[in-house]
Amino acid sequence: MTTDGRPDPDALLRAIGEQEARAKSATLRIFLGMSAGVGKTYAMLRAARERMKEGVDVVIGVVETHGRVETMALAESLPVLARKKIEYKGVVIQEMDLDAILEKKPKLVLVDELAHTNAPGSRHQKRYQDVLEILDAGIDVYTTINVQHLESRKDIVEQITGVPIRETVPDSILERATQIELIDITPNDLLQRLKEGKVYLGDKAEQAAKNFFKPNSLTALREIALRVTAERVDQELQQFNELTQNSGPLQTNERLMVAVSHSPHSERLIRATRRLAYNLEAPWIAIHVDTGVPLSDEDQAQLVKNINLARELKAKVVTTTDTDVPSALRRIARQKNVTQIVVGRPSRRFIKDVIEGGTLLDRLVRESGEIDVHVIRQAGDSTYRPPLIKKIEHFSDPFKYWNTFCFLFGISFVSGFIEPLLGYRAVGFIFLLAVLCVGLLSTLGPTLMAGVLSALVWNYFFIPPRFTFVIREPADVILILTYLVAALVTGFLTNRIRSHERSLREREDRTNALYEVAQDIATSRAKDEFLTKINSRVGRLLDGECGVILRSQDGKLLVSEYKVYSPQPQLSENEQAVAVWSFESGKMAGWSTDTLSEAKGLYIPLKTPDETVGILVYRPRTMRKLNLEQENMLFSIASQLAVSLERHFFEKRLRESDRLKDSEKIHQTLLNSISHEMRTPLTAVMGTATALDDETNSKNPVYVRALASQLLDASDRLNRVVENLLDMSRLNSGMLALNLEWHDIHDLIGVTLKKLGKNLDQHSVVVDIPDELPLVQMDFRLMEHALSNLLLNAAAYSPKGKTIRIAAQKVNATLHLFVEDEGPGVPEELLDKVFEKFFRVPGTPTGGVGLGLSIVKNIAEIHKGSASVQNRTEGGARFTIELPLTDTPSVPEEKS
Amino acid sequence: MIDSKLRVLVIDDESAIRNILRISLLNQEYEVAEADTGQAGLTKAAEFHPHLVILDLGLPDINGIEVLKSLRQWTTIPVIILTVTDDETTKVALLDAGADDYLTKPFGTPELLARVRVSLRHHNEAEATPIFKSGDLEVDILKKYVKVGSNLVKLTATEFDLLSVLIRNQGKVVSQEQLLTRVWGKNSTGQTHYLRIYVAQLRKKIEEDSAHPIHILTEPGIGYRIV
Repeated sequence: MTTDGRPDPDALLRAIGEQEARAKSATLRIFLGMSAGVGKTYAMLRAARERMKEGVDVVIGVVETHGRVETMALAESLPVLARKKIEYKGVVIQEMDLDAILEKKPKLVLVDELAHTNAPGSRHQKRYQDVLEILDAGIDVYTTINVQHLESRKDIVEQITGVPIRETVPDSILERATQIELIDITPNDLLQRLKEGKVYLGDKAEQAAKNFFKPNSLTALREIALRVTAERVDQELQQFNELTQNSGPLQTNERLMVAVSHSPHSERLIRATRRLAYNLEAPWIAIHVDTGVPLSDEDQAQLVKNINLARELKAKVVTTTDTDVPSALRRIARQKNVTQIVVGRPSRRFIKDVIEGGTLLDRLVRESGEIDVHVIRQAGDSTYRPPLIKKIEHFSDPFKYWNTFCFLFGISFVSGFIEPLLGYRAVGFIFLLAVLCVGLLSTLGPTLMAGVLSALVWNYFFIPPRFTFVIREPADVILILTYLVAALVTGFLTNRIRSHERSLREREDRTNALYEVAQDIATSRAKDEFLTKINSRVGRLLDGECGVILRSQDGKLLVSEYKVYSPQPQLSENEQAVAVWSFESGKMAGWSTDTLSEAKGLYIPLKTPDETVGILVYRPRTMRKLNLEQENMLFSIASQLAVSLERHFFEKRLRESDRLKDSEKIHQTLLNSISHEMRTPLTAVMGTATALDDETNSKNPVYVRALASQLLDASDRLNRVVENLLDMSRLNSGMLALNLEWHDIHDLIGVTLKKLGKNLDQHSVVVDIPDELPLVQMDFRLMEHALSNLLLNAAAYSPKGKTIRIAAQKVNATLHLFVEDEGPGVPEELLDKVFEKFFRVPGTPTGGVGLGLSIVKNIAEIHKGSASVQNRTEGGARFTIELPLTDTPSVPEEKS
Repeated sequence: MIDSKLRVLVIDDESAIRNILRISLLNQEYEVAEADTGQAGLTKAAEFHPHLVILDLGLPDINGIEVLKSLRQWTTIPVIILTVTDDETTKVALLDAGADDYLTKPFGTPELLARVRVSLRHHNEAEATPIFKSGDLEVDILKKYVKVGSNLVKLTATEFDLLSVLIRNQGKVVSQEQLLTRVWGKNSTGQTHYLRIYVAQLRKKIEEDSAHPIHILTEPGIGYRIV
């Protein structure tokens, strides 16, 4: 809003744009209820029947009547699509037939129970994803949902009712909705209906469901439902205010950030932040700080889940690496102009807190400056405290403990010999050294074990009185305590340094991988080359197989060409379908995603801002999920690939259009040639023929011969024009297969001169070639054309009677073939233009269409050589063709 | 032969070409028959008993190469092919299918008539005489000597083999593969550089100016012929 009370034009435009987009795209109407049994399905069916009466094409995608008579009656009045039967582990499950709906394309589809989870083997895991796809296809949807299934309300409802909720939909679906209709009845009415048996409670969870239907719970649920609707109305009102001149409350410039870890409590933090952000209409960021501490598979999975949740709830996700969480949070907060940070109440960590200068929270609050810090309490009454043992188990495998144990045993044994020489105190230092070594070489668990164990061993075996845990001297008590603390802290710190180093290395590895991918792309000449390289590189990095499927020119995915850039022969039909779906929807699909997760591979669309150029396929060798780091790497590589492929496609298109322009020009030239280049000789032909037809002429033999020679000239000229045009179009089409064979330059010149014959009669041709020239690999016919074009050019541009010199010489591994004339030469400023297509030096004699020299250049280049021109100091031009020379293969010994 | 005139059959769908060929051939005292399709050509060949056939590759009904193969099933008379393509593989395929010679359009009538004469002579003489004479060059295949003017020229064994293969097919194009297998054996296919080196050596010995050879002529991409 601007200060003078006028609406902000940008906001206006945006609002109008959104309105238009919504009017154009399909509408989603959500019937929202506080719990089962409020009559959502009934209301939905009624509304649909109204629409049908208006003549709208309505179809029931899926509706559960649960045997309620009124609902059934209503449902029967509407057309129903047959459900799809999916067999899973011997049980046949009926699911909504998404493909049938997309194919039938009705105006409106009814989809009951939005939060439903589809049977395994369906395209999407969740029904709401089906709905989104239906909407994307431009079909209106009516759907129902209970408030407890909204992602952001799940926690609070679980707290109120004590019933765990498994099925959720992201709140963003509410934003996609065009209309939200609250189906509201009082808790008393609902309880009445429950008594009458009108409420379906589900199959198994009867007892649990009963917890739902307590008056207190219902009142609370009702409030939540009303609030969801109210928030929505609020937002609409605000948008309306912006549209009309009523200036509403000032927009906030808030920006929220939530810290996400691998703790399961992070989910709660994420939901809370999303709620805050939604109400403040503020953008929000979910940040994960990778401290370099290795995570167990379980934690890794939870972290990925958390991050995905944040993504789903429309957060911008940022990951950063730092061993110090508060400073990382501060850094990113400052970078992204965050005004509020949301964190969880931390668990207590005694030693670490002392070392790091207070809890994360203390430090964050102390150092946050102008940023507000929200602290969200952890779920339940206990704080999240991972049991130490379990944590340690996660960090290392038993093997490492065993190794550490053996190592300590060895050290103890050696110490037994040293002790009599140096005294028992020195043994302490040896043990300390040993703990340091373990810290450096092993992980946290074994290090801590080594610290404690070595202290015990030292005490028991070495500190007098020996073979007891009793310590005689008070100084030794201090010594052993100091030792324990020192061993633990140094062990911990060395370990910390190591893990930090490891995370740095991992990061470096990732950067390296990306760099190498970029290198692959940069150093490859053709896309095929870098695709193969990258596929094998990514396959190695992520322990799997990687492939790319490209898009064809008309925008379809070339599934059948999967084998071209991947180690595997072919995709199964199912996998192909996943690839195509991913390509068409522009979304990830397959293994480890929510969509078509039965697939064996992960399909990542290669998207650029403008288009999707193909699909990156990744097939893991083990079914172990990728960690965040690896996932990020895969995404980065995908986007890098996408950009370079787009560039490649773009270049190809450019070339194509160049070629088109060329062929247009050839067309144009052909027309011009017909009018000039061809008509001139044709006139000669016609004139000669008519002259011959005349009896008096044809009786004079001298005259007849003159005419005949004219005819011959004309037809020669015609033939040359045709040949050049043919050559050009062949070279341009790229279809020319080079017929490389070893040839003798003498032979080339001999054949060319013989073919040109009379054309060079007016000049004296000098051939100056050393005897001992090696054979050259070339396409004889093409080189002959090149050479004859050069000779004809020399003949056309130098006066009669002058010399044309053909010379050749070997320079290092290159053969230089010269054609020199004694004409006026080429004007200096046009030297680099003469090889261009259709270029003719202005003011030169007629004849020719400007193709000859460009053909020479083309031919030289497809031989991996070059063509150039210079003006000779003696006058005249020197054209040079350079061809690469390779060693001539051997010839069998002469038989005697 | 009862009739002293040599008979030539022209199979071409273009009447303009047929007209020119007929006029030139009649001028040279040949007897000429014409056909405008492959089928008609084959029938005519059986009735007319030509001494030589001039066959266009692009016929409306059957591909010229098929006509050539049908002809070759029952006769060894020389066949000269007319083609518009520059493509070497087609030409090699033609030679392999039994064509005696080919001409790329456009061509001049003297060129065509020369080829007709060479083909007819070669067909009639077969290998009657071991002595080849052309300008200042004289070769006796049996006695194994080569003379340029009055000077004896010493050839290596391989050079002489190469030369004699060419001479046995004098006037005709001998394809590279044929030359290679006959001179160097079956394992030498594709080793075209052998030919380049030996032809260059031969030319140095028997041609006056190897940049303008008059005896051993190169048929680019296809082979060599001696005239």
